[in-house]
Amino acid sequence: MKLYIENLSKSYIDKNILKDIDITFESGKIYGLLGRNGAGKTTFFNCINEDITYDSGKIYLEAGYGKNLINTNDIGYVVSTPVVPEFLTAKEFLKFFLDINKISDKSIEEYFDIVKIEKEDQNKLLRDFSHGMKNKMQLLINIIANPKVILLDEPLTSLDIVVQEEIKELLKKLKDDHIIILSTHILELAMDLCDEIVILNNKTLEICDKENLNSKKYKDKIIKSLKDDKHD
Amino acid sequence: MIRTLYYSLKIDTYYAINSFIYLLRKLPILKDLFTEDAYTSKILKLLSGFFGILLSFTKMVFSRYLYFLIIYIISNYISKDNRTFYHVFFIFSIIGMFINNKLLTANMKKYLSIVVFKMDAKNYLKYNLFWTLLTNLSLNSLCFYLFNLDMKIGFILVLFQLGVRVIGESLELMYFRKYANFWYNNTFLYFSILSILLLFSFSPAINLFINQDMIFISTLASIVISVVSYFYICSFNDYTSIFKRINTLSNAINNDLSNNRQSIVEVKKKDIQIDEKKISTKNGYDYFNTIFFERHRDILLRTVKFISFVLIVSYIILGIFAIDNKEFSIMLNDFLSNRLGWFVLIMYFINRGSIVTQAMFYNCDHAMLKYNFYREPSVIIGLFKMRLKTISQINLLPALIISFGNAILLFIGGETSVLNFVGMFLFIILLSVFFSLHYLVIYYLLQPYNQEMQMKKLSYSVVSLITYLICYWASKLYVSSLTFSIIGLVLCIIYILISLKIVENYAPRTFKIN
Repeated sequence: MKLYIENLSKSYIDKNILKDIDITFESGKIYGLLGRNGAGKTTFFNCINEDITYDSGKIYLEAGYGKNLINTNDIGYVVSTPVVPEFLTAKEFLKFFLDINKISDKSIEEYFDIVKIEKEDQNKLLRDFSHGMKNKMQLLINIIANPKVILLDEPLTSLDIVVQEEIKELLKKLKDDHIIILSTHILELAMDLCDEIVILNNKTLEICDKENLNSKKYKDKIIKSLKDDKHD
Repeated sequence: MIRTLYYSLKIDTYYAINSFIYLLRKLPILKDLFTEDAYTSKILKLLSGFFGILLSFTKMVFSRYLYFLIIYIISNYISKDNRTFYHVFFIFSIIGMFINNKLLTANMKKYLSIVVFKMDAKNYLKYNLFWTLLTNLSLNSLCFYLFNLDMKIGFILVLFQLGVRVIGESLELMYFRKYANFWYNNTFLYFSILSILLLFSFSPAINLFINQDMIFISTLASIVISVVSYFYICSFNDYTSIFKRINTLSNAINNDLSNNRQSIVEVKKKDIQIDEKKISTKNGYDYFNTIFFERHRDILLRTVKFISFVLIVSYIILGIFAIDNKEFSIMLNDFLSNRLGWFVLIMYFINRGSIVTQAMFYNCDHAMLKYNFYREPSVIIGLFKMRLKTISQINLLPALIISFGNAILLFIGGETSVLNFVGMFLFIILLSVFFSLHYLVIYYLLQPYNQEMQMKKLSYSVVSLITYLICYWASKLYVSSLTFSIIGLVLCIIYILISLKIVENYAPRTFKIN
């Protein structure tokens, strides 16, 4: 399964954010998208998810039935500030989601087990969930929907280390059947979790050659690359 | 304090300048001329500063003028006696003492100044008080002059208002220090005091006035007490910790979101539990929609029930008067037979459409629109229809009461034409559906809120204003109710059909987070 991004460009009024991006992502790998603040990582995700229109370019998905223009149903987008309908309880939200997608492979409790949401929390209003719990809930919905592409914008920011580890393990399990792209500011996280590092630099994307991800030389190379960003 | 005053005014000026440039960069055509460099242009900053400050000043004068105008209209309505205005102004000043305190309120400017910029809280507060008193003194004096009122009594009343203002601030501080809470959270106390005062402002109707001597003595007393109050305010030194407690970022943002709108539409504790029977047989979007309305019972159903109760009581009173007094009955019959436009305005005010759409956005769509499945055209249209049905049902109860109430009053007045009864009945019902639909349509087509849940679309405000103006205009019409009903019915049906079609075609594109 492959995600092709061809000549993608996006600018806001007088500011060019993304310019002629050409890149291919594959399933079986977790891609770590690195870039400095304001480099355009979220804009890049928003373009793929069609939250915003882009100026030019095409996005295709090849998933066993040829190369076709991507459909938003193929994408699951976990945003950095988790958004969940706060008037529902976790259980109600999950039931609703399973209903509309006509999914009944597992019981509701089994689904909650995937992201380790305890029974006593399932009947709480989502309004009363912590940031980390909301994040888990958002991730769970995206996992159940089983989209081919999963975009995660700073998914582990402000989560405690236990939840971070749980989510990392979950993503590793998912990567074989999905194309996973994860944006982060934390280089250590990208190097620890991701199979490929993609750098958003000077409005364009480049995949850093996969070397020994833990070597200091590689880390320095990435930082140098990020520093080179004109960042206008 | 001078230093605080200087920096505070500087923040205000920068805020005015940058807001003005921001506004310019949002306007069609102009937005292409002003790039991000606009914020660094000295000439543009100077011009924006001038216009920004002018705009703020005009807004201040205009709102005070409006306040005087409202008192003027109310006074004229209560009694034609010249003393009424001063009486109402006096009472309203006391009401202001309780409801218009600024000392401990949270807002973004205070948050930035005290929490972020770490300005001295006590100095900041003294500056704020000084600034409020100064603007009140000048604006109130100006308005007394503009309204051609007695300047001598006017000036005494202005001093009275300044005095009670300081007293009000110190009382609030005292209450907060004692109970660690605001007095307005004590609903019983709040409504009791305000109701008594409000009732007393209408006393000129029974020829009961606060005379000049009383105003004069009260002013003297208020000035003396305000001096003591000022010393009390100044003697307290721990404002920083109070401000940090009450002026949290979320409080500041909420309060800046026009009249704390978010708290108006939040899910109330008592609505968390839902009767299982109501949702056990439902699935999918029906289940979702039912839970949404059940969790918002407080802001929807209870208010509608309260409005319905008030309507029933009003119709019973009117009915008794109509039976008892032939003259009143004739007058009422004339009103119902020729001033049906008034009910357009009444229906506009009692319809819950606006608050429902706010709740929809804050508690539901704001989050759900981030999910791709929720943005599917079929889902948007399907949920729109479901919501329309539920809102229409909610609004139907007061509409039915008005329809039957009018019919009974007409019958008491001697009306016999069946056509008149049926026309009016159908018109009121359809009007209720119209308003339910109207708010939903403009919400779906103009979705006015942004990611931060602030209302950002001018077009939404313009449409809302036009809606109000049309309703107001309709209330002024003197047309036979039958003609009005027929024209109204036709227009409502046309609007409903057209807007449904437009929503079907455009909502999937327009219903998104800005």
